[in-house]
Amino acid sequence: MVTRAAQLTMMSLLLAGLMITGCAKRPATTAASAAAPAPTAAPAPAPGSSSSGAAAAAPAAAAAAPGQAPRPSPKEFMAVAALKEVYFDFDKYDIRPEDAKTLDANAAWLKSNSDNLVLIEGHCDERGTNEYNLALGERRAKATMNYLVSQGVQTNRITIISYGEERPVCTEKTEACWAKNRRAAFLVKPR
Amino acid sequence: MVFTAVGLWAPPPPVRAQAPPDVYINVTGGGSTKLNIALPDFTVVSGSDAAGLSRLLPTVAGNDLTLNGLFSVVAGTERIPANNPEALQQTWANFAAAGAHAAAHGLLTIRGDRVEADVRLYDLTSPQFRMIASRKFDAAATPAHTSGSDWRRRLAHKIADEIVLQFTGEKGVADTKIAYVVGPAGAKEIVVADYDGFGVTPVTRNGTINLSPVWSPDARSIAFTSFMNGYPDLFRLFPFEPRRGTQTLASFFGINSSPAWSPDGQYLALTLSKDGNPEIYILTVATGALHRLTRHASIDTEPTWSPTGQQIAFVSDRAGQPRIFVMDRDGSNVRQLTNGGFHTQPRWSPKGDTIVYTQREGTHNLWAISPGGTNARPLTSGQGDNQGATWAPDGRHIAFQSNRSGRWQIYVMLLDGMSTTTQITSGAAESTSPSWSPRLP
Repeated sequence: MVTRAAQLTMMSLLLAGLMITGCAKRPATTAASAAAPAPTAAPAPAPGSSSSGAAAAAPAAAAAAPGQAPRPSPKEFMAVAALKEVYFDFDKYDIRPEDAKTLDANAAWLKSNSDNLVLIEGHCDERGTNEYNLALGERRAKATMNYLVSQGVQTNRITIISYGEERPVCTEKTEACWAKNRRAAFLVKPR
Repeated sequence: MVFTAVGLWAPPPPVRAQAPPDVYINVTGGGSTKLNIALPDFTVVSGSDAAGLSRLLPTVAGNDLTLNGLFSVVAGTERIPANNPEALQQTWANFAAAGAHAAAHGLLTIRGDRVEADVRLYDLTSPQFRMIASRKFDAAATPAHTSGSDWRRRLAHKIADEIVLQFTGEKGVADTKIAYVVGPAGAKEIVVADYDGFGVTPVTRNGTINLSPVWSPDARSIAFTSFMNGYPDLFRLFPFEPRRGTQTLASFFGINSSPAWSPDGQYLALTLSKDGNPEIYILTVATGALHRLTRHASIDTEPTWSPTGQQIAFVSDRAGQPRIFVMDRDGSNVRQLTNGGFHTQPRWSPKGDTIVYTQREGTHNLWAISPGGTNARPLTSGQGDNQGATWAPDGRHIAFQSNRSGRWQIYVMLLDGMSTTTQITSGAAESTSPSWSPRLP
């Protein structure tokens, strides 16, 4: 195999030089498209379908649906002493009975301070993996929100955010520390 | 692009298996299947070697061949004089006596910032140490690809990849990059480095939390999750086009995370919770059109495509704990792949035959399983936590993060699990979430 290849070396060098020159291809650089318009409702083409122009088209960003209120910046929310954190078991997102009392008190405060919007943060400990924990934190924030709504807090006052395992309050590798990190926290801002 | 091929190796035989040719395996004997290759210093035939290429190129390429796993580099850096066939023959005789089956030697022509390397392969098992192939590489002496990387090392990687091609029928993976996350929880930025850890170059600098970098199939862009606008949104950056801005891919209410490019690069599977629960969608990158794949009250996340683009493996906790599931590309035909454990981070091999995932049992370890659900086996054990695997384009190597040395670092290993695992990051920072690029264009 290889010996035959050696005999062809000189010829291939000549030919290859021509070939490479002839097809010095590099994908065309697409125009930058930072802020794309609202997404179209075009159906997704079948996979593998030919669309030679797709690579060159400026990709559109999938943004919030038209008519949806903008998300308030998390930076605008502040902690308030009256709203206590609640905690979760490992890989769980259901509200524990002892935490329901905390949430009842949080709901009561929010109802009597109705000029405040609330941001619920969902957090995880470092075990598990980043992407799964981002989803798990979302579920914890959502479960917490649902509980507050069931206690009479208006849905449109609540925003949720998941930080997954990215914002621990405690960094030791102990169960006591992990338990503190598996939490939902509350921040508020005036309407 | 820094250098242009002006020639090719002699054309490889039409069809070759993944293993080295039988003749070399027979020579090695003793059960070893590695090809012993000599890489003496390259010879400068013209010009001044101020950049130290004559030693650097064979050293770096030799390291690449060692990491490849099918080669064993024979020690020795004899300097071969130019235009001296007798000295060349004597050098090969010495290396053959030391057990080398083959040799690679480069002739360097250096004119100012122009470097041409004429690299030749020799069969040291043949009577006259016959030259079996040659290829010229032309490198313009300018920085390669990213600000932190080194064109000399890239030239060496190109040479190594061609040597691998010549002996195995498939190019090596040395001319690739690994993107990963650097920093502690709360302050994570994405960097890009050569696959061997050299040339680290930051590609995000937004001072927030940046996660889950994933290379696009054309090796030109990286999708990632970032809190740069406050919430976990999906973006795309272009690491080799520093003046090109970051593009928003998805910024819906809730999480926008876990990007996975379809093999043709037209689609992105991703996780959104905009409809109330983490679910998997397909985003058509060119239009922004969304198509929902999962509808289940549990967590569905971490999609990964089969190389055919026809199936998607993902994580769901619908069975109680997170496990690996597989569905067809349209969301139908969902079946559970793993049982009895806490399983996340599925990554489908580019060859299609294996899915690597992370199993949590006190610590985290990498496991592999066939897409049919058979042959589940651990790839790591007993050395701290090991997770976040990413496949090399050859489907033979993976990179992953491990804290076996105390803090998170990136490691590369052959999938056989028997070979040396190589640590490619070091230092005080935590390095996590690697993504191995396709072969660079």
